[in-house]
Amino acid sequence: MERHSQEMSQDALLKISNIDAFYGTFQALWDVSLVVKPGEIVALIGSNASGKSTLINTISGVIHPAQGTIEFGGRDISALDPFQIVTLGISQVPEGRRIFPEMTILDNLMLGSYNRQARANREQNLKKVYEHFPLLEERTKQLAKTLSGGEQQMLVIGRGLMSDPKLMLFDEISLGLAPKVTDELYKAVREIRAKGITILLVEQNVRRSIKEADRAYIIKAGRIVLGKNVAELQEEEIKQAYFGV
Amino acid sequence: MTVEVLAGLSRPIIMGVLLGGLYALIALGLSIVFGVMKLINVAHGDLMIFGAYFAYALMTTWGIDPILSLTMGIPLWFGLGFAIQKYVMSRAFGISMEAPLIIAFGISLILQSLTQIIWSPYSRGLEAPYALGGISLGITSVPKTYLLSFIAALVVMLVLREFLRRSYLGKAIVAASQDKRGAELVGINTGRVYAFAFAIAMATAAIAGVFFGLTFPFTPTSGVGFLVIAFGVIIIGGLGSMLGTFIGGIVLGLTQTLSGYFLGAAAQMLFVYLIVFVVLAVRPQGMFGR
Amino acid sequence: MKVPINQLKLMLPVVLVAVLAIFPIIGTPRVWLLYLFLFFVYLTMANMWNLLAGYSGLTFLGPGALIGLAGYTLVIVTWNDLPFYLGIIGGGIVAAAFAALIAVPTFRMRGIYFAIGTLVVPEALRYVFYLWKPVGGEMQGGGAGYMIKGIGGLSLTEFYWLALAIGIVSIFLMRIILRSKLGLGLAAIHDSDRAAASSGVDVFRLKLYAFVIAAFVTGAAGAIFYIYQGYIAPVSAFNIRWLMICLLATVIGGIGTEEGPIVGTIIVVFLHFLLARYGALSLLIQGAILVVIMLLVPGGIVGLVRRKTRNYQSLLKLAAGR
Repeated sequence: MERHSQEMSQDALLKISNIDAFYGTFQALWDVSLVVKPGEIVALIGSNASGKSTLINTISGVIHPAQGTIEFGGRDISALDPFQIVTLGISQVPEGRRIFPEMTILDNLMLGSYNRQARANREQNLKKVYEHFPLLEERTKQLAKTLSGGEQQMLVIGRGLMSDPKLMLFDEISLGLAPKVTDELYKAVREIRAKGITILLVEQNVRRSIKEADRAYIIKAGRIVLGKNVAELQEEEIKQAYFGV
Repeated sequence: MTVEVLAGLSRPIIMGVLLGGLYALIALGLSIVFGVMKLINVAHGDLMIFGAYFAYALMTTWGIDPILSLTMGIPLWFGLGFAIQKYVMSRAFGISMEAPLIIAFGISLILQSLTQIIWSPYSRGLEAPYALGGISLGITSVPKTYLLSFIAALVVMLVLREFLRRSYLGKAIVAASQDKRGAELVGINTGRVYAFAFAIAMATAAIAGVFFGLTFPFTPTSGVGFLVIAFGVIIIGGLGSMLGTFIGGIVLGLTQTLSGYFLGAAAQMLFVYLIVFVVLAVRPQGMFGR
Repeated sequence: MKVPINQLKLMLPVVLVAVLAIFPIIGTPRVWLLYLFLFFVYLTMANMWNLLAGYSGLTFLGPGALIGLAGYTLVIVTWNDLPFYLGIIGGGIVAAAFAALIAVPTFRMRGIYFAIGTLVVPEALRYVFYLWKPVGGEMQGGGAGYMIKGIGGLSLTEFYWLALAIGIVSIFLMRIILRSKLGLGLAAIHDSDRAAASSGVDVFRLKLYAFVIAAFVTGAAGAIFYIYQGYIAPVSAFNIRWLMICLLATVIGGIGTEEGPIVGTIIVVFLHFLLARYGALSLLIQGAILVVIMLLVPGGIVGLVRRKTRNYQSLLKLAAGR
């Protein structure tokens, strides 16, 4: 079980405290707590149906926790609508590459800046996105559905950047993609972190997440079972927590 | 085929195409609401007829020209649509799958009764001096109202298309219709976007109501028939494309005029309904649908 | 002697039916009989509609089609000098056959498309019956209408008993179906077509059964109504008002509950009598009620009562030792 020291929680950018979340009558998250500090990359590791995506969606406001609080920059966001949470600075790169298929790349990206706060910096952010992903600039007038899987993922990440986020949530960005493509994506993730954006990422591929992250939480059946610095993580602990009965 | 037969066909064909434009205009509002929110607004036809009655009231009380009355009708209907979506429909979505349908039904009933109470069940019509009589289109002559409606349809659809393509709000509406969750996660206030979409749909219904009222007589219960037609248009033409809606309208318009020409006036609506049913059964997502 | 609970539960409805059955003979006021007549006819239709929309996931917006067809079958039967009760059965059969016919195309339509598809059907039939004159002879009303023959000797008493009979049948049918294998399958389908199909449920077949059964009973009830009314015309036969009755009764009472249609129909018939002279205003009020109830009390009266008495109910169950 994760124990939070007071110092850890003190300067947290995102602080989740003891939340329960339900899909109808089915409880998906049990007493989940975690912390993300500014500038970190934190990984959320877990098998299928462990509650990873549920947690991400709860942070984004798609689901509201039945219990507990979610604090962002000291403010409780657990009751806010998704678009309000984007405005506050949390951007989700959802799993399944949710692009707007019938719209151009440019439109997709521009919509990333739809909320009022981000509109002012639209042009600047667009330039930054093109720097990360030059291919998006080349193809900018094409319809999003003509892109390959990896390219679509880049588009979604780029779109997420357009909202001027302080915290980005990555949900399974490597799913269904070749290792080389995934390498490129994670290179971009590192560049994003280098620009000062905090990252919480969900990854099926345990090795990959450990490679990229500073800290990791392991979630199993809706509960957080482990939370440590990656450097201190033992192979055995991961196996136990991930697969153990 | 003899020249005479062809010449004889030219009138129903031209009329059918023009009528199709009007049908497309009527269907536009339904298409927007269905495309964006996956809601079939069964009150759509009645809201359109209500628009016709509103123009009628202005015409008979103050002699205001029906098309001119749209300067009041459009903003009013826009506001009405915004309110309905924001305060009624959005709540209905959260209740159950059938709730929005049933509530729209209730609204439809309320509108029909209201118009009947205020204006009696007898049929009414909108009139404007410039819309009387026919106009010659080369081979044949058609009623001016048909031509006017067709032009109005063209204008409205073009304006709407540009709005959806170029404006930020328009793009947000399109995005929300393609992926609601994706739109939310990108910071789009889908609740407000839906309300705007419904409002726009209502505004087009007001316009459709006036042009319809200029072309045909209407009664409090005319709305239901046009719900079916509007639905038929979007089923045949598919969603998500103005061109599709336009073509859908023309197909139905032609079906009506041609079956009327060959089989008599009484059969024409039956054939229209038949086509709608068949297309529904065979290809529910429409010919041009995504 | 203490009567065991089970025996009491069985006897109560039987006693109730017996009492209702002798109403006409013991000099009950005509208005009451009329009210009950309409109640049982509408209840049947509401029950069957509830079976489809509330339990089988079929939001069927075309009950007018079935009722109108049954009515016209009655016309054909009676104009050919056959007894009227054959007309009732015939009406049911024609309605059921029609339902089976349109099941094939309409079941392919998902959700909302099915709703609209079934909305189109009565409208189309209305035009068909404007054009098609199934029997020769004098027309009634504004054209295309027919008198029902062969019912001259009947009185309100007979109408009443017919209605009572079909009403009871509909209640029984609901009880039996919902507790049968068919009912189980329908519940799965109502939840999710796909999930049911992947669990091995023959979705089409079960929906068909429910649809045809409901159509038969609805048709029979419709025929009984027209026996009472004495004439039929296309503009009202295929009218939306049949849908309104079903919708209103089920929504007010509580969709997807067995008692719902009963409670709802009581109110609908009451409203009918109360507002009969107000014509359009009555429809206005009905529409408003529909909207308000759907927004505020979507579970209907039964749903509301169940929610409020949830604790009380579990206490009762505990006390009854179940």
